[in-house]
Amino acid sequence: MNRWRIGRMCGIGSLVVVCLSTTPAAAQQTAPRVVSAANAFLSTLDEAQRSKVVFAFDDSVQRARWSNLPTTMSRLAGVNLGEMNPAQRSAALALLSSVLSHRGFEKIQQIVEADELLRVNERSRAMFGRDLYYFSMLGTPSVDKPWMLQFGGHHLSLNITIAGEQGILTPSLTGAQPALYTANGRTVRPLGQESDKAVALLNSLDAGQRAQAILSFDVRDLVLGPGQDGKIIQPEGLRASAMTEQQRAMLLDLISEWSGIVHESAAAARMAEIRAGLADTWFAWSGPTDVTPGRNISAYYRIQGPNLVIEYAPQALGGDRTMHVHAMYRDPTNDYGRKLTRP
Amino acid sequence: MKATVAGVGAIILAVATPAFAHRLDEYLQATTIAVEKDRVRTEIRLTPGVEVFPVILAAIDTDRNGVFSEAEQQAYAGRVQRDLSLAVDDHRLRLRLVSSKFPTIQELSQGLGAIGLVFDADVPLGGPERRLVFENRHLSGIGVYLVNGLVPSDPDIRAGTQRRNRRQSHYELDYVQARVAPAPLSPARSTIGPGWLGGAALSLLASIMFLWRRRAAAASAARARAQMPSRA
Repeated sequence: MNRWRIGRMCGIGSLVVVCLSTTPAAAQQTAPRVVSAANAFLSTLDEAQRSKVVFAFDDSVQRARWSNLPTTMSRLAGVNLGEMNPAQRSAALALLSSVLSHRGFEKIQQIVEADELLRVNERSRAMFGRDLYYFSMLGTPSVDKPWMLQFGGHHLSLNITIAGEQGILTPSLTGAQPALYTANGRTVRPLGQESDKAVALLNSLDAGQRAQAILSFDVRDLVLGPGQDGKIIQPEGLRASAMTEQQRAMLLDLISEWSGIVHESAAAARMAEIRAGLADTWFAWSGPTDVTPGRNISAYYRIQGPNLVIEYAPQALGGDRTMHVHAMYRDPTNDYGRKLTRP
Repeated sequence: MKATVAGVGAIILAVATPAFAHRLDEYLQATTIAVEKDRVRTEIRLTPGVEVFPVILAAIDTDRNGVFSEAEQQAYAGRVQRDLSLAVDDHRLRLRLVSSKFPTIQELSQGLGAIGLVFDADVPLGGPERRLVFENRHLSGIGVYLVNGLVPSDPDIRAGTQRRNRRQSHYELDYVQARVAPAPLSPARSTIGPGWLGGAALSLLASIMFLWRRRAAAASAARARAQMPSRA
């Protein structure tokens, strides 16, 4: 029952873009429409492409095959957008859009378009660009049994385990370079809200809270990036139980930049989990506390709770740390939807 | 041989290609530390940037044949091991290489490979409140360090404050362990060394022998006194 519509969206650049707008009634039926979109995509593929896209649900190698690196380096599997014809590409993006929220899909597009800009600026078609983003699936699309959709390339790895209305987005990596650009006369910062909301939270802290939140050492990269599945580090910084109600609301709003990437009903369930563990959630900051308005922060921060790890890590590569960022989103208790498949 | 040298040359030339995606002039060394009651596991992930790759290549591929041989990998792991120090309650612990993983030179040259080393160290039994100190001095001129304690898997252990210097080359962790009974050092677990234990054992044996001989001499003297005629 497709009460949602696919339309042409104000895409950035020439990426084939698909926009979904859901009504509240349709939001109740996310699982059937996601499965329908998945089957529609699979039906556009020929046998050879399908065999490259579909993996067994328990394929642990494919599950962990993701990276922040350009795909020429990280050797992703699946079929990339450049290998698809227009109909296949449209169906693939419709599938992705059905699993994500409107804002989540927009963010993903902006990340991809940043890489397209990198391709143009670097003149490296082999390493960068929108054509080098891969789709793969683990398992069979189903309204009740778990399966998984992966979409990724340079600075982007979405690992979405789907089971009915549940959409588990962890572990996923977002990033951008350039992290600020202009498209169609509009300034775009794919991870701008992640930067702005974090600095707003930091600035809301009093001196005592800041002394706890701001770490005395440099954190120059992600701690729990690609390849670090299953690790839980000691939390540090300022505990949310020591924040005011307003600060906790700001923290939740910041977290929603990640939890809200998936479709609305899954995001709501995820937010309820995070809220339940909020008192034991920590916020830590390392690096400069000043920021130029309209630009990203150059500091690292981490949010860690009982079922949450978020890291935002600006990168020195390229010369300007505000223009290159990697970010990680994990649930150490449920990465890859582990709770769905283990007793 | 010429082909190998040409291959290495090509790899180094490839390093000069786009810098945007790569780590550059840093040697990222990310460490996690897992504390158990009788053991500390230290995992270190070493990722050279493309500009410092020649330094790392020279440090590992010492015969310059373009291949990381098993012996060269072991030698490099040993060098890293010597540059690390780990202590608990001021007892310097001896690190033992458990596993190592080296990418190919090609992967490493592109700034995408990471060397993975895992070390274990046995911890002498101690009291409930303990302090771990870790230091990484490996290639400090180009090193960028991360170090974090993992949440202990043993529910009896509770990690406390972590302290680091700004570079994270020096790290301290206070932790508390419950249900620890004061017990003699286990020879199998002790990192203090067999020499100390041997000395203690000899000393104990000597004490026992000394007491036994004194008792034997006293008994002999008593028997002799009993056999002597009374003067009364």
